[in-house]
Amino acid sequence: MTQHVSPPRGGTDKAAPVEGPPAWRVRLGRADVRTLTLLGVLAVLVLIGGITQPDSFLDTRNLQLVLTQASVIGVVTVGMTFVIVSGGIDLSVGAIVALSSVWATTVATQEYGFFGILFTAVVVGVGCGLVNGVLIAFGQMVPFIATLAMLASARGLALQITDGRTQVVTVPGVLDLAERDSYVLGIPPLVMVFAAVTVIGWLVLNRTTFGRRTVAVGGNAEAARLAGIDVRRQRLYLYLLSGLCCGIAAFLLIALAGSGQNTNGNLYELDAIAAAIIGGTLLTGGRGHILGSVLGVLIFTTITNIFALNNLQTDVQQIAKGAIIVAAVLVQRRTASTH
Amino acid sequence: MTKLTSRRGLLFGAAAVSAGAVLTGCTSNDPDGGDDKAADTQPAADDKPGKPVTIGYAGPQADHGWLNAVNEQAKKRAEKYSEVTLEVTEGSNDTAQQIGQIETLINKKVDVLVILPADGKALTQVGLKAMRAGIPVINLDRIFNSPQAYRCWVGGDNYGMGLNAAHYIGEKLKDKSDAKVIELAGIDNLELTQQRTQGFDDGLKNYPNIKKVARQAAEFTVESGQAKMAQLLQAQSDFDALWNHDDDQGVGALRAIEQAGRDDFLMVGGAGALSAFQAIKADSGVLKATVLYPPTMAASAIDLARALGQGKGVSGLAEFEIPSTVTCYSAVVDKDNVDQYMSTGFK
Amino acid sequence: MAPEPPLLSMSGITKSFPGVRALDGVDLDVQAGEVHCLLGQNGAGKSTLIKVLAGAHQPDTGTIRWRGEDVTLRSPIAAMRLGIATIYQELDLVEHLSVAENVHLGHEPTAAGFVVRGRAAKASTAELLKRLGHPEVDPGRLVGDLSAAQQQIVSMARALSHDVRLIVMDEPSAALDPDEVDNLFRIVADLTADGVAVVYISHRLEEIRRIGDRVTVLKDGRAVAGGLPAESTPTREVVALMTGRNVEYVFPERPAEPPAAEPVLKVEGLSRQGEFAPLDLEVRPGEIVGLAGLVGSGRSEILETVYGARKATTGRVLVGGQPLRPGSVRAAVRAGLGLAPEERKAQALLMLESVTRNVSVSAMSRFSRGGWIDRGAELGAAREATRELSLRPDNPAVPVRTLSGGNQQKAVLARWLLRGCRVLLLDEPTRGVDVGARAELYAVIRRLADEGLAVLLVSSEVPEVLGLADRVLVLREGRVVHEAPARELDEPRVLDLVMEGSPAS
Repeated sequence: MTQHVSPPRGGTDKAAPVEGPPAWRVRLGRADVRTLTLLGVLAVLVLIGGITQPDSFLDTRNLQLVLTQASVIGVVTVGMTFVIVSGGIDLSVGAIVALSSVWATTVATQEYGFFGILFTAVVVGVGCGLVNGVLIAFGQMVPFIATLAMLASARGLALQITDGRTQVVTVPGVLDLAERDSYVLGIPPLVMVFAAVTVIGWLVLNRTTFGRRTVAVGGNAEAARLAGIDVRRQRLYLYLLSGLCCGIAAFLLIALAGSGQNTNGNLYELDAIAAAIIGGTLLTGGRGHILGSVLGVLIFTTITNIFALNNLQTDVQQIAKGAIIVAAVLVQRRTASTH
Repeated sequence: MTKLTSRRGLLFGAAAVSAGAVLTGCTSNDPDGGDDKAADTQPAADDKPGKPVTIGYAGPQADHGWLNAVNEQAKKRAEKYSEVTLEVTEGSNDTAQQIGQIETLINKKVDVLVILPADGKALTQVGLKAMRAGIPVINLDRIFNSPQAYRCWVGGDNYGMGLNAAHYIGEKLKDKSDAKVIELAGIDNLELTQQRTQGFDDGLKNYPNIKKVARQAAEFTVESGQAKMAQLLQAQSDFDALWNHDDDQGVGALRAIEQAGRDDFLMVGGAGALSAFQAIKADSGVLKATVLYPPTMAASAIDLARALGQGKGVSGLAEFEIPSTVTCYSAVVDKDNVDQYMSTGFK
Repeated sequence: MAPEPPLLSMSGITKSFPGVRALDGVDLDVQAGEVHCLLGQNGAGKSTLIKVLAGAHQPDTGTIRWRGEDVTLRSPIAAMRLGIATIYQELDLVEHLSVAENVHLGHEPTAAGFVVRGRAAKASTAELLKRLGHPEVDPGRLVGDLSAAQQQIVSMARALSHDVRLIVMDEPSAALDPDEVDNLFRIVADLTADGVAVVYISHRLEEIRRIGDRVTVLKDGRAVAGGLPAESTPTREVVALMTGRNVEYVFPERPAEPPAAEPVLKVEGLSRQGEFAPLDLEVRPGEIVGLAGLVGSGRSEILETVYGARKATTGRVLVGGQPLRPGSVRAAVRAGLGLAPEERKAQALLMLESVTRNVSVSAMSRFSRGGWIDRGAELGAAREATRELSLRPDNPAVPVRTLSGGNQQKAVLARWLLRGCRVLLLDEPTRGVDVGARAELYAVIRRLADEGLAVLLVSSEVPEVLGLADRVLVLREGRVVHEAPARELDEPRVLDLVMEGSPAS
């Protein structure tokens, strides 16, 4: 801000045009700091893994293992990132995964084979997302409350369907998806789905009007409304999207675990939120990064992997996870304040 | 070894209780468990209808296959006796709700209560209340804080599960030098998981040639079983045996083993799920045995409640009264005796 | 004046926020025992000044002297320790605590250092409430259950529970009934009789005449008049200071001929219960229509209702002859309306985003196909729109939050330019815009009108409306009291209308 008051500002600016750094530098610069931080953390983890367990950590099978284990929660996290960017939260993702996985593996559903299971998982996920979306967008419910209610009822329904029993999948086509024979060029099909969801999610958030509207609603809902955006409809779509991701994740989980169980997806909501946050998505909305979220998921999965390979127990894993969340948020606050 | 024999003594009570009915003979592998006729001068409960008894049954929400089986066992057992009326509450994991349900049963003045608490400590008070109201309580599995809160405790033997799993694996591997075993535990912050691991470790001490090389804790769910087993398999390229605490998470563990294409070890499960029994019977994979945590304990609890209500002891024992503690034996089920247990397997 | 140094003396206070200079060298002297009134429009800097005084904001430059000594008000607690208490307009009470607990919040009477002596707190609270003329308020009641007036009394009791020498009251009469206002004035008189100074903020000139000793008028972050005698200064002079100009602006030329085209915006009998009476107006392409009025005249409410952001009680809005679906912003935008709202940061801008994305947000369909954004086209369009408005810096990739107030406003205008709207609704377009940058903004608005846009302008600055608009509607308390071509009006005439509400012509 300049000290003079008059003459009019436009004139002086024309005399000495202020040129910021070019657009690509600004954006790349910011992306770099964030992504590099996460990649740095990942690199340190790989280093630790490689030093402590050179044989079992640094091999193709372990890479396949880590990516496969990240796939299910990763797909959920992509959907969660959209919701958080819009200023909302979806606490029901784990419960939706459970309900979808259970509904899609009942004896009746399994009779319809591969596509029966896939279709049911996706439809149940989208259906739950629809209920969330309607309650939040049109029922004016706070997302925290609406999705908390969904969490409780979806888990309850999942329990009712299963009676607490494990529903084993007998459809070979589904089971094959998570077996080595179906790897293409060494890439497990589950990981391909995860990668595809990530790429599509990134494109939708960064390259489409849908993504722009999501960011606008999260950044300033009132401004978005006065700019002519249908905020309610956008919110509805976002919870549908999260539900869709849960349905896809449920299908992947069915293939991976070979069964549906009402306890599936336990605490996914917290894992997904944690991954999104360390990935640089603001919990208050308005800014989010799909790649950051995915890196967050990979960091968590890698930690679990390294700890398991070193035969360290659950308590230590949980402590490390908490420390990483705090560290990542602190680092990001530092980098954010320098911009 | 003294420990082992005293456990035999305890198991005997349990075995005898559930003897006659379900298994027509005995539940244990114990070859000398057949002195049923020892003391029939005392009134002992038998299958013949006696004085009518109303039993109140309060269990937790069946969110796990085993709990579901427990509730089923109790109901089926009660149906068997024409003079027994079973008042079953809606299963609940909410402590306050379960307390309310039990208080309702107390007010209804049932003759005997069978309680499987969602949380043993939290429900101690309501157990005391029932006992003070003159309603004897059979405490099933999750134990109350105070012995005054129950007349009789019937439960499983988590330590024994680990011990018997270790013995089974030890016998199988006793000729192999430098044998390695790994352990896939259940939820780590539960006491029962610690007990199972302790029993397993103690049992393995009898076999100096065997070393436990890795342990990871899953969460009693298929999903966690798959995830943790996959990591264990990656970590340990070569081992001889695996003990998995829980057959439910074992479904996931077996899935991980299948995905990794491994078959170079033997696996022992825990709890006694139907799918595990079937796999053991088929003998086509790594799962060779499972250690029971028998859901039939609920049926035994009903038997004990009935005996209590009718003022009788249990047949096969000389006592006038039913025992105050019944610890069920954690039998090892393998290919040889699996048929015997098939009907108790839970889904 | 008084021989001893003033109780409080602030001089050369400046305070800037990103994009706007809220205070620009303000001086303020307050004597012990006086009621010093602070006057100014919304956004003139009153709130910032009292926050500086309360220790909630730190000034960028300037000095504060308290009883003749330099002080730094680092925190609200520091200000309170000196004896400065502030009663904010949005009362800062804890609704779920009792009256006594609120009054003693932070300095509870204690035994042994930590045991709260509830009885003592209640007794002293009752004493304070009695002194404030409200003995009927029970110190044990929850504050959330009290009326607005009673809550204000509690807030005042809290101020008096400290050893207070200066009380700042931010529009204390706004929420009060007339007889409650009388009680308030009695309290103020009692306080000043005890030597306590009161800084009194209000829009209501008649109140200032009744209780004020001296008046300081703030405008655009500057004190345009300090220490005027409250009783003898003519009303018109005070209002002119508030609404007038301290810098002469060159307003753009009006077209010689009034536009002859059919009105593009027609408002018929539009009203909102409790906000404004049925209103008719027309705006033609190329025409700027101004709504002039003081705070509370319903100006902003009218614009937002036309825009569909508030639902009308009666009447309708027609754009190009087609009635709009009531209460639908989307319908209004689709029909070609665009709003530049009063609170730019809260209502218009995506502060985390670049200028490009702020400009493109309402016109995304123009450079997207099937939802897929052509970012090259987007950047090009944003660049073109911002260049047309001479937005600085000439780089639409920079974050919008780094822009000055005037350029942020241009970003909002560029948004509607890109959207291709037909009617522009401008609510206080130069609010928070540096004085120096205003003339350029006026030129931009006039140019947009010349290019065929219809503009409906709301401003609390009378010269702005008179200088920019072709036709002016004067509002008072939700009613149009006069309508005339701008060239037939002058500032004194409008001020009379705004204040007196005298019948038209």
